[in-house]
Amino acid sequence: MALEVQPPDGRKRVKVYELRDNDWFDRGTGFCTGQICEEEPRIFVESEDLPNRMLLETRITKDDGYQKQQETLIVWTERNGTDMALSFQEAEGCAVIWDFVNTVQQHLLSLASVDDALSDDLDHYQSVVLPAPELGTLPEIEQIVRNASMTQVGRDSLSKLIIRDDYIAKLVPLVSMAEDLESLIDLHRLCNIMKSLILLNDNTIIETVVSDHVILGVVGALEYDPEFPTHKANHRQYLADKSRYKEVVPIKDALIRRKIRSTWRLQYLKDVVLARILDDPTFSVLNSLIFFNQMEIVNHIQANGPFLRELFSVFDPRNLDQKRKDDAVQFLHQCAGIAKNLQVPSRTQLFANFISHGLFAVIAFAVKHVNPAMRTTGIDILVALLDHDPVMMRSYMLKAVNEKKTPLTDTLIDLLHVETDLGVKNQLADAIKVLLDPQIPMQDPLGRAGPDYFKLRTNSLLSDAFVQQHFDESSKRLFQPLKQLANRATLNDLTFQEVTLYTHLVDILTFFVRQHLFRTRNSIQSESLAPRVAQLLRVPQKHLKLAALKFFRTLISLQDTFYQALMTHNNTFELILDIVYETMPRDNLLNSACLELFEFIKRENIKPFILHVVEKYREKLENIVYVDTFQSLILRYDQMQGYGAEVDSTLFGHDEPTDPASPPRKMYISGQRWQGARELDPAEEDYFNTSDDEDEIKWAQNDGPSNGSASPAIKPLVDYPDDDDEDIMDTKAEGADQPPMASQTETPDDVPASILTQSPPERLSEKRRREEEDDDELIKLTAGPKRRSSTSSNSSSSLMNRRSSANKNASPDVKNNVTSVAPKRIAINFGSTARQPSDDDTTSMETTSESSEESRDKSQGNEGG
Amino acid sequence: MSDLDRAIEQLRACRLIPESQVRELCYKARELLIEEGNVVSVDAPVTICGDIHGQFHDLMELFRVGGDVPDTNYLFMGDFVDRGFYSLESFLLLLCLKVRYPDRITLIRGNHESRQITTVYGFYDECIRKYGSANVWRYCCEVFDYLALGAIVLGASSELEPTNTGPANVPIEDSELETEVLDSSGHVTMSTYRPRRRAFSNASTDSRNISPPRDIAAAPGQTGVPSRTGAPGTGASGDGNGSAANSRTGAVLCVHGGLSPLIDSVDKIRLIDRKQEVPHEGAMCDLLWSDPDEIEGWGLSPRGAGFLFGGDIVKQFNHLNGLSLVARAHQLVMEGYKEMFDGGIVTVWSAPNYCYRCGNVAAILELGEDASGGGTVARSNGEYGRSNGIMSDSRVVSPGRRYRVFEAAAQDTRGMPAKKPVADYFL
Repeated sequence: MALEVQPPDGRKRVKVYELRDNDWFDRGTGFCTGQICEEEPRIFVESEDLPNRMLLETRITKDDGYQKQQETLIVWTERNGTDMALSFQEAEGCAVIWDFVNTVQQHLLSLASVDDALSDDLDHYQSVVLPAPELGTLPEIEQIVRNASMTQVGRDSLSKLIIRDDYIAKLVPLVSMAEDLESLIDLHRLCNIMKSLILLNDNTIIETVVSDHVILGVVGALEYDPEFPTHKANHRQYLADKSRYKEVVPIKDALIRRKIRSTWRLQYLKDVVLARILDDPTFSVLNSLIFFNQMEIVNHIQANGPFLRELFSVFDPRNLDQKRKDDAVQFLHQCAGIAKNLQVPSRTQLFANFISHGLFAVIAFAVKHVNPAMRTTGIDILVALLDHDPVMMRSYMLKAVNEKKTPLTDTLIDLLHVETDLGVKNQLADAIKVLLDPQIPMQDPLGRAGPDYFKLRTNSLLSDAFVQQHFDESSKRLFQPLKQLANRATLNDLTFQEVTLYTHLVDILTFFVRQHLFRTRNSIQSESLAPRVAQLLRVPQKHLKLAALKFFRTLISLQDTFYQALMTHNNTFELILDIVYETMPRDNLLNSACLELFEFIKRENIKPFILHVVEKYREKLENIVYVDTFQSLILRYDQMQGYGAEVDSTLFGHDEPTDPASPPRKMYISGQRWQGARELDPAEEDYFNTSDDEDEIKWAQNDGPSNGSASPAIKPLVDYPDDDDEDIMDTKAEGADQPPMASQTETPDDVPASILTQSPPERLSEKRRREEEDDDELIKLTAGPKRRSSTSSNSSSSLMNRRSSANKNASPDVKNNVTSVAPKRIAINFGSTARQPSDDDTTSMETTSESSEESRDKSQGNEGG
Repeated sequence: MSDLDRAIEQLRACRLIPESQVRELCYKARELLIEEGNVVSVDAPVTICGDIHGQFHDLMELFRVGGDVPDTNYLFMGDFVDRGFYSLESFLLLLCLKVRYPDRITLIRGNHESRQITTVYGFYDECIRKYGSANVWRYCCEVFDYLALGAIVLGASSELEPTNTGPANVPIEDSELETEVLDSSGHVTMSTYRPRRRAFSNASTDSRNISPPRDIAAAPGQTGVPSRTGAPGTGASGDGNGSAANSRTGAVLCVHGGLSPLIDSVDKIRLIDRKQEVPHEGAMCDLLWSDPDEIEGWGLSPRGAGFLFGGDIVKQFNHLNGLSLVARAHQLVMEGYKEMFDGGIVTVWSAPNYCYRCGNVAAILELGEDASGGGTVARSNGEYGRSNGIMSDSRVVSPGRRYRVFEAAAQDTRGMPAKKPVADYFL
């Protein structure tokens, strides 16, 4: 037989290890080559020190289990049973040898299958033959199955055989036979065989496994896992329990009933039976089977008029069967949950059908339920709808207002005020946020088409004034409890429920201000809410204080004259400084939050605040010396007033060099990497000022001094036209000393989660690479490159584009080449196909992760941002 | 027995506590955590642990190997949840212990302690599965927002007290025990020594080739496989004046991921308002997402968040902040721990057989208390004006490091790990 494999050229530097007594013994360092000598593929390693000495010489055969580990390691077991390893200096060299080994083995395998007839080896794979299933032949079956599973060819022919002979059904009786004989070893064998067969990862086999007549036998075998010899699972008991299947309204279609059953079993297999052992391909096969089943089930349900009518008639007030109503809510909840995984059109259709049959009434029923669990379920359904299409939900709501009916928001607001279950309250607050948010972007990616498209959908229904009016009225209703704080003598006696309510209200208010400051202005003004929130800065409950602080921090970041006046015309800053004083000896969360707020003012050089704070509270500031933030504020102030910096420079000079001529001290520390990080070339700056549509739309409404600079996200990149002189100094000082912070604190707070989430749906995709170390990947976000580019634009930060494995090659040249603006985030590709359901550990489809992330962000992320 | 103690009992048995109790627990934890700084100060002795990832039974094994709370002080560097099937039990137990023994256990935030990540990697699903709604998940996420971002260990000794077990324990003249690796039954499998040095000698003859024996991926010529008994002290420079050296042990910074280009001093971490979802970029994100790598300077992270940072960065950062070591988690290392950059940074990984299939061992890192009474080199801990390289002319000695390596919990001590199936179904 001829080997037509091209041996790799070049010698790869490598270390040879041998496993002795569980320790890797170093056989020496040398150069590795792959060669074909006398028709036999071999790997040689020639000693580095003694060129004539061979450190390794081994023949590659088709069934040696070579493995590549990490980037630079190949391990295998020699014929004699010795474990060997080659550790390559370069990942590249490793790859070359690995390719050689692979090609050779594949080649040998294909030859082997051709030579089938001549060989009496067990491992000829072309036509796997299994003995008749009997207890006596189990060892042989196990062996054959295991061997066949090793190669793709073997797996294919084994799968064919299993399906053709309906082999699994024939194995099933053996389980009870072995159990009767109490033959644990046979049961373990059966378990291994079943596992291997499932992991063959064949659609048909898996569908067979969950069919009625074999499922119990299969999971029965899987109860005896040889890895857990002292345990026996009780899968059969679980799956045989028919009472787990609840039926509110009987589904008559036998096919659908069967689909429901097998979906249930597939999920059980995936989550419980096989949870530990699933490999990626099988995981995806299971997921896609589940997905297609669910799609059929849901399509059946939503198209089944009589079924839906009967289902929703359960909620008829004349019907007194409470249990059935509760079950029906649960049923709808489950439908909504499944719908999340479906593609948008199916989901839209399903929800539209539900709504036309009266889903809102069901939600209203559920959210007023006495049982908090039912309330949670009800709101969950609502949230599913909101996640699916907030614009649709809002138009339903506004339509109700227009028709003088009680809108859903009013119901939710009233509930929020009285709800005692914290979980439900939390969800209510989230739902209200979304419902009252007038600027929800389209879910549909085409929604990016721009504001026109958006207008079409909302404004065609109702005028903007109407929306504003509704918003004002709802806000008034919503923030009523906050307003009533004015009449309260003390805040030291707040009840637990009150504290929770205020926390939510302040949080919602913060969200509103950030999302649409103009709509919110009215209510903040007319209800004079800001002083109320300021009051909360004094409550003893620290987390409520924190929420109030976050509100003002958000106002500051908006850089809006109205809100600036709001803050400077009363004693807000005094209260905040009080918190600094209170917490000062301690280094705690509240203290850090205050520091961050003043750091932000300092860094952004927000004049009105600097003037206000220093003029009114200079003395207070002067006494805070444990960080230099406050001294720097005073310094800024003095500079603004035209005083020289000399006075203070001795005091703070070492941290904040004020003399532009003298080189900043810390240059050698951080400066070399980050100096100039803030300097952008004009093109880049343009890019930032124009790239983000969302920002533009949003901030264009700002009547502040200038559009571009109003966006906190791009703030530091923009010069302030009116204070050039100081800026030179500031930039230098910060460039040397502060640049890390300059972009640092702003990101956490200033790109509020809302901006991120309000932009078109982002994707969080990841690869399911469990065995690799770099497991978690955060996906590139639309807003991604902003800050990063500003930092990486610096040529000396360099090397941004290189991954480690080949780092030894990294020469200074390489470094200097990378001067362009490397976008910080690597876009991580989605799985091969868009609909590949297997992308990660997530048990759901990619649509889920996408949409749920979105919703999660929308509903929770904001609290933090 | 208080409710809390009962809850701890119950959770130790891997049984969940009712939702109302979780709510209360989270509330208490929040009150406690809000008082912690972004970087918590912790005194040695302390045992530093890496990722747990919901591997409850292995967490129990960890406590068996490392000693129980409150007898041992623990510092967990995040990633309590996701991937394993018992995220809830693991996290709630740790949280209970935190509330019960606030000074004995420190929890800092990992990148998985985030709403976005947990919805994808399993914790969210687990909460729904086990409690029927997302409420518990919300409570936990709220707590996540309050977790500290890092910790700084002070007062660690530069020399290990020899353990009593193991063969390789004849003290070597003029050397101090620097690192020691123990298996789960307490036997020493490897130790390294370094020469004692004069109080202010700058001689650096440390033999720090302590990459674990199984680390065979090291490039040829870079590190040899260390001998089992450790390198005997070379260059007998010391005169027994070891205690003075002890007092110069630098502090150890613990974060989940690593360094950030935006953070050049530990004090800067203090200026973050950490109560928020882990952002997608910025200092807070980097601390939780970055990885050390064999590069120079900073590099793009393949994870899509955080950065890669090289040995020069670590060296500079440690020097500037008077640190001797950065301890971090975040990356699976097959040997349980991995020191890099001349011992300037260590990765500690505490989830054995990760995802029930990776075949790795886990480790915890013990830092001993400095018995000499010399204390730690003063690190500027927020005091104004002290952060500027006061250590620049003297060398900070790294702490003695004892790694306890352990494997996945014996199979008899646990059931088959599996997710809990949903109770009822309609569809």
